[in-house]
Amino acid sequence: MVNNMIENEIKEKIKCSIINANSRINKEIKPFIDNYSGPFSNVLQDNYHVSSSKGLPLCQDTGMVEFFCFLGTNFPLKKPLQDVLDEAVSEVYKNFPFRYSTVDDPLFKRKNRMDNTPAIVHVHMIEGRGLEIKFLIKGGGSENLSRLYMMTPSASKEEVVEQIVSHIEETGARACPPLKVGIGLGGTSEKAMLLSKLALTSSNSKHHDDPRYANLEEEINNRINKLNIGFQGLREGISCYSVHILTHPTHIATLPLAISVDCYLCRTGGVFFES
Amino acid sequence: MNLEKLKAGNSILYDGEMIIMRDAAQKRLSQIQVSSIDLPIDLKDKFVFYAGPSKTPSDSVIGAIGPTTSARMDKYLEMLFQLGVKATVGKGERSDLVKQLCKKYKGVYFLAPSGSAAALSQSVIKHEILLFEELQSEAIQKIIVKDFPMIIAIDSKGHALWD
Repeated sequence: MVNNMIENEIKEKIKCSIINANSRINKEIKPFIDNYSGPFSNVLQDNYHVSSSKGLPLCQDTGMVEFFCFLGTNFPLKKPLQDVLDEAVSEVYKNFPFRYSTVDDPLFKRKNRMDNTPAIVHVHMIEGRGLEIKFLIKGGGSENLSRLYMMTPSASKEEVVEQIVSHIEETGARACPPLKVGIGLGGTSEKAMLLSKLALTSSNSKHHDDPRYANLEEEINNRINKLNIGFQGLREGISCYSVHILTHPTHIATLPLAISVDCYLCRTGGVFFES
Repeated sequence: MNLEKLKAGNSILYDGEMIIMRDAAQKRLSQIQVSSIDLPIDLKDKFVFYAGPSKTPSDSVIGAIGPTTSARMDKYLEMLFQLGVKATVGKGERSDLVKQLCKKYKGVYFLAPSGSAAALSQSVIKHEILLFEELQSEAIQKIIVKDFPMIIAIDSKGHALWD
């Protein structure tokens, strides 16, 4: 049990935020759902009303919860963040009509853990006295589209775009489009994957500071929308909300390209603490 | 319902029974079938819904329920058709093999709306666990639905919506 006050406050705020992300429609994407008029549009619009009035999750796949924590060096934390966040996840998933979606062993027994832990937790140390936590409610359908490509260092911008667009063309309909696409470019293999996930926590309107990458985000978004995958993969409405690229210095011999996607519900949240 | 009259692209509101099962339960069934023990369930003329519902709130028939990605279960489809299954229900496109199998067994593949599990739960009027209860949300379950929205994605001639 977490007894320390600050740990308790973190846990309680995160619990509220996880419940909201699972049951309340993301305000940024609500207008897209309301404007969609193709097949099943009435069900999708009805869904977020039913979820909030009945206290049900928006999707039966209430995911694994992936946390990205930015921990200030002077933040007075006495417990590992993993423990605090596991308690938050366990208490929410035990007390709400969500789904336990984690199994203890990936290959052999695959026995359900019955509390949806462990949370996936990444901690980055930063200067200062604050703690910022962002998270994704990540369903299995969109997670299965995650990819890592070790491109050659001489690859052109066009080759990178082509790799991303062809992957989404082939598989995008499986992940409940319209999609949000996160791209990690550079670093090492695992750094690129992590950046592609972190990119999915971005607001739709947030773009890369470097105008060359901001233009690339726009170009990839346009290309994916031209694929005309559509809502539910049924060829009507948009295919992609936005593309977000995060970059990192890389080795002279490498150009890691990581792709992660989020489903049309974009179930995300964030909490900030100042000590 | 005469499944052979349905054409890819048609929308229907379905009233009737569906058997819920997904990856884990179908893997088990296939293992039981290989060891040629009698199967513990009769699937003749059934609709199989690829799904794993959330927990049921205390005052409800069922919790949030919606389709999962059907393509993962393509490898078990012929087994299901041989056991007498008439139709499968899920989300997403499936391989060309599924078109051939639908034609061969005069079966149908329906799409149900994904990511709308709160709304879909309101179409379920009865729910019971049939088999493999220890698999939790992946157990084999039976539901009775009313006005359940579906689109025919692959018809019994093997034509697909996305062709």
